[in-house]
Amino acid sequence: MGYSDDDIIITDSDSEEDNYHYTDGDDGKDSYYEEIIEHDYTSNRQLGYVVLKEVDILKHQRDDIEQVSTILSISQAEAIVLLLHYRWSTSKVEDEWFTDENRVRKLVGILKEPILEYNNHGGEVDIECGICFESYVQKDIARVSCGHPYCVTCWTGYIASKIDDGPGCLKFKCPELSCCAAIDQDLIDRFASENDKEKYYRFLLRSYIEDNGKQIKWCPSPGCEYAVDLVGSGNYDVSCLCSCSFCWNCSEDAHSPVDCDTVSQWMIKNSDESENTNWILANTKPCPKCKRSIEKNMGCMHMSCPAPCKHQFCWMCLTQWDTSCYGCNKYDKGDETEKKRIKARQAIDRYVFYFERWAANQSSRRKAMQDLEKLLSVQLKELSERQSTPESQLQFTIEAWLQIIECRRVLQWTFAYGYYLPSNEVAKKQLFEYSQGEAQVGLERLHHCAEVELNQFVYNTEDTPKNFSDFRNKLIGLTKVTKTYFENLVKALENGLADVSKSSTDSTSAFKRQKAGGSKSSTILSNDERLAEEMQLDLYENIE
Amino acid sequence: MASGIARGRLAEERKSWRKNHPHGFVAKPETGPDGTVNLMVWHCTIPGKAGTDWEGGFFPLTMHFSEDYPSKPPKCKFPQGFFHPNVYPSGTVCLSILNEDYGWRPAITVKQILVGIQDLLDTPNPADPAQTDGYHLFIQDPVEYKKRVKLQSKQYPPVV
Repeated sequence: MGYSDDDIIITDSDSEEDNYHYTDGDDGKDSYYEEIIEHDYTSNRQLGYVVLKEVDILKHQRDDIEQVSTILSISQAEAIVLLLHYRWSTSKVEDEWFTDENRVRKLVGILKEPILEYNNHGGEVDIECGICFESYVQKDIARVSCGHPYCVTCWTGYIASKIDDGPGCLKFKCPELSCCAAIDQDLIDRFASENDKEKYYRFLLRSYIEDNGKQIKWCPSPGCEYAVDLVGSGNYDVSCLCSCSFCWNCSEDAHSPVDCDTVSQWMIKNSDESENTNWILANTKPCPKCKRSIEKNMGCMHMSCPAPCKHQFCWMCLTQWDTSCYGCNKYDKGDETEKKRIKARQAIDRYVFYFERWAANQSSRRKAMQDLEKLLSVQLKELSERQSTPESQLQFTIEAWLQIIECRRVLQWTFAYGYYLPSNEVAKKQLFEYSQGEAQVGLERLHHCAEVELNQFVYNTEDTPKNFSDFRNKLIGLTKVTKTYFENLVKALENGLADVSKSSTDSTSAFKRQKAGGSKSSTILSNDERLAEEMQLDLYENIE
Repeated sequence: MASGIARGRLAEERKSWRKNHPHGFVAKPETGPDGTVNLMVWHCTIPGKAGTDWEGGFFPLTMHFSEDYPSKPPKCKFPQGFFHPNVYPSGTVCLSILNEDYGWRPAITVKQILVGIQDLLDTPNPADPAQTDGYHLFIQDPVEYKKRVKLQSKQYPPVV
């Protein structure tokens, strides 16, 4: 497994389940990955998130079920019904249960006494099935807690059709009109086909992640079955064990320093041209709560998002639907269309400018990922032989590439940031463009050094060890300084360049020298300048 | 649900209806010109409740059952253009228990459906409007609404 993001799906046979564990290193390549992953994993804990594998999720889920089952002295099947109702919150289940057990039993549908009394003695008594209306003997009839009798065949059919309908089957009820009794897991185990059972348990597992008050989400990478549990708060950028880095909040690629709303606008804008998106935009609206695209296929405006979201809203104005929707009939006067048309052309040109740069950095990042993979699989070994240096001493080349990948990601998103930066905030815009320009220059130097100069050492045997040691110092220096610069850049941008309005007295600033128009300076700026200067010095020192 | 159960269940529904059904209601499977019975389509009549503006009306309703019945609910239709906030312009009734995603349960009987629709006539659900005409009058002009309901009830006298 190499470094990739969700746009690159590694499909070679190596990416099978076993490989996710990163356990056995039969060659140098694997052990390097192991180190990288391990390193990431431990720092993840500090960053405030934990990646959960399917076994971990199942274990958490089973623990919760057992806990509720033990404390409340109920069956596991009943515990599941309760936990599903209270969105897998064991504390909520216990609170509610011990406050008013009878109310909870009725609410979730695990009744103590059947609604319909039935005679249990005579096995020969004819009992009418409530679905097919045929008569059966006791042994061919099954019931849930309410006591309504249905025959084995009808239960089988009912359960199959409910599971076929999707995840809603986790909360389905007795077939009787408005009967509240829940169909529990025991009945599913008894009557569902093997295939349907598998589906049911998959829904159950998914529900633990998706319909959950906790901060757990699936990794959005295609085919990845890990979930990420956000333990801390503040930072949404996470890296899954499958090497996909994404924003926990909006599930797009990791996009600091840009916020999720901007990313969503930007992504919609980028795919404006595609036929699919056009169709989706024309015919669907996103559910205001879960953002799934919803196509309106019935007459009335009252929309209900399918399970598990179940949000109810008005199709016209997208506000929550209470008993009805009022107020979305009033026309809210928008911009004049004429002006818009005039601006449209300029807008397109401007957009293309930012998009090209955004996309170029994205593809450069992907290329960098491939280069890193090449380094790990082939070049490192060769380099180690050529320079008679153990691979462990060549770690700095990997770190340089990881830094390049991260910097490309940041730089990529700064172009979306720049696109949405209000044009009337002149000072901010100038500071932004200056900082971005410096970042770009710095990154290009690092990238060039790692790409071109490293290759000379891999493929050219003429170099003396002394040269290599210089190169080593240079690359380490560039990596370090670029890292610091980008980290500060991200902080400043996430902060909305807020310090731009504060004045600074530093009159010798490089910023003022270069951008005479910008009358305002700032602490962040001087920080950036210091970094920029430091970086330039270092860069100039290190480059011949 | 197991295939073929639809007809068996409908035959039983028919039997049970014959044994006992609420007063004033009619429900019978369609009979072709040659006398063959089509259990999958039922022609029904729902009487307006006494003491409401719907009293005196005997409203024709057609139930269309699919092969998936009783896994899926039947489609219930009044004549096209029927005046009621929860009836689509096509005549289809919009009612929670008839919606397969929400209220429908396979044990719901024809009797329960018809009584449910009778209830709906005088207690429309403003949260789920299905036609503009009926809905707007119901919300904005109760007097005119009442008039329209009474007029419609007269248009559907008892079938002798």
